[in-house]
Amino acid sequence: MPSDFRNDWWGKASAGAILGLGLAFSLIGLYAYLGPGGINAPGGRYSLMRYLEVSVWIAVFGFCFLFRSGRAAWAWLGAANLLAFAAMFACRFYFFA
Amino acid sequence: MIRAEIVKHYKTVHTWTGITCGFALFIAFYAGALTMFQGPIARWASPPAVGVAAVSLDNASRLLELVAAASPQARKDGIKLHLRGHENEPARVTWEEDEPHEAGQPHGHVHWWGTLNPDGTLLAKHEEPSELAEFINDIHMHVGIPRPWGAYFMGVVSLLYGVALIAGVIILLPSLVKDLFALRVGKNLKRMWLDAHNVVGVAALPFHIAMALTATALSLSGPLWSAQEKVIFGGKQAILDNLDNEPFRVPKPTGDPGAMMPPAQLLQRLKVQVPDLEPRFLVFKNFGDKAASVRVPGAQSGYVGDTHLGGVMLSAVTGDVLKDASLPSRQDPDRRASETFYGLHTGQYGGGTITWAYFFLGFSGAWLFYSGNLLWIETRRKNARKGGKVEQSRSTRLLGSATVGVCLGCVAGLSLTIVAAKWLHGHVADLNAWHAYIYYAVFLGSVAFAFALGAARAAVQLLWLCAVATMAIPLTTLLAWTLPVLDMWAHGSAATIGVDVVAFIGALCFAWMAIVTARRVKHGPADSIWSARAGALSPTE
Repeated sequence: MPSDFRNDWWGKASAGAILGLGLAFSLIGLYAYLGPGGINAPGGRYSLMRYLEVSVWIAVFGFCFLFRSGRAAWAWLGAANLLAFAAMFACRFYFFA
Repeated sequence: MIRAEIVKHYKTVHTWTGITCGFALFIAFYAGALTMFQGPIARWASPPAVGVAAVSLDNASRLLELVAAASPQARKDGIKLHLRGHENEPARVTWEEDEPHEAGQPHGHVHWWGTLNPDGTLLAKHEEPSELAEFINDIHMHVGIPRPWGAYFMGVVSLLYGVALIAGVIILLPSLVKDLFALRVGKNLKRMWLDAHNVVGVAALPFHIAMALTATALSLSGPLWSAQEKVIFGGKQAILDNLDNEPFRVPKPTGDPGAMMPPAQLLQRLKVQVPDLEPRFLVFKNFGDKAASVRVPGAQSGYVGDTHLGGVMLSAVTGDVLKDASLPSRQDPDRRASETFYGLHTGQYGGGTITWAYFFLGFSGAWLFYSGNLLWIETRRKNARKGGKVEQSRSTRLLGSATVGVCLGCVAGLSLTIVAAKWLHGHVADLNAWHAYIYYAVFLGSVAFAFALGAARAAVQLLWLCAVATMAIPLTTLLAWTLPVLDMWAHGSAATIGVDVVAFIGALCFAWMAIVTARRVKHGPADSIWSARAGALSPTE
């Protein structure tokens, strides 16, 4: 079976580490704004968010080596970051106008 | 089905994340296993004291009054009333005062305890408690690297540990059923170690996932919080911060005196209002004021993370519950989820069963990293042999020495620093600083020793050092008990005797490992890292 799977260690790992963290902040940011109670939710949310953030970060970092190449990892995760951050910033401007 | 190339790819990920993090994780897991018995170790290390029982609960009101009058800072910041009578509670009440410092500057605290003289007057003494248990916890959290870098370092290590877990599962998935239930004991030692590595790793996988997530989050709390404040909330998160502290904010003192409810009665009022809370101590703030409050931390059984932050605040005048939002059963869903994560890390649930389970899981984790490093070394040897060479390459020798020195140095260092709590007490000015000196001296000395002698020879000697150092824990207690002239102590409580018994069993385990390793060094394959006969270890190379 011909395969174009590449061992781009640094390309994939950097995408996982950097874009994984970006995805963590943007997705958990969405939870902070849109989750039950919204930004006025009780204070426990502030403490919970770090655990959720690292869950996303570790998952993205761990699974990013499944991408075909470093370029593919950066493209897909970059696109996901753009979308998630756009939505998160929209929430921030809506709630904190 | 996972493609073979992906499995191969992830093998490399697993190897390199494992090798780079294995040392730090060994220390974190070994010291972490010990912190499961932080309480008993603190009690073991605490010298005999006046004790809680010296002042009955009925006389405690008088004692609190005297302390509040004597120390304005204690009155404001809190006077702790102990209830359990453990050896590490020096007297019925304790409190802290600031060290002299410039206003607004960071500063340390000095510890005081107070009891009643026979004539009913206050006897207060400034005495620093043993911080041995805190020191072990500090090694667990920062592997001995100074603040704040140790926390950042462990955050990155824990993150990579999470990646290594995912990689390990992906590697094992295609052959999971075939490999998991097969522990091929036999001639092929490497196969057996790999099988054992797999079965221990998979069996404890939920534990390891919980640890990787929570350790990363806890180590990087500060940076994550300040980043999320900027990135997510654009600096407008103060409102959340404010809400977060609400359950702990005490009522403002009025300045008018009020009649304080006696502690025994307060505990009765507590039992009526919150029947399933087991209080460990009470913290009085603004004692004597009409708005005085008492905070009651304690476990509420049936909740994960039950002892952390949990508890209620009562009025010290009426005994009515003022705030109970930090009680596990009353926490908001996010707080409950957060405390559950925390409790999963610290094993604060399920009582003694979970404490012991975490203790052994911690050791099994430490073993996982030790065995992982050795597997890599043996694989390199096999690869090298295929290429016609049987000598150990430089990198395998260095990794072997580092594995032995770091892992066994940590074990021996912790055991000896525990022993020092009794031998050095009263003989050095700052015993808590000495705990650090001793640990670092033994740890660094062991690492140097392992590099000087090579893994094989050093492992046998260092394992004997671990055995002797650990055996010294119960022997010290025995000596203290039989020879009072030594001026040491032997507590009789089950918890402190438990420390001695566990150390005794641990020492026997280390001795057994030393014997088995010595046998392998003599009779095992000569090209193994575990051989003293190997050409690779000769100084002529």
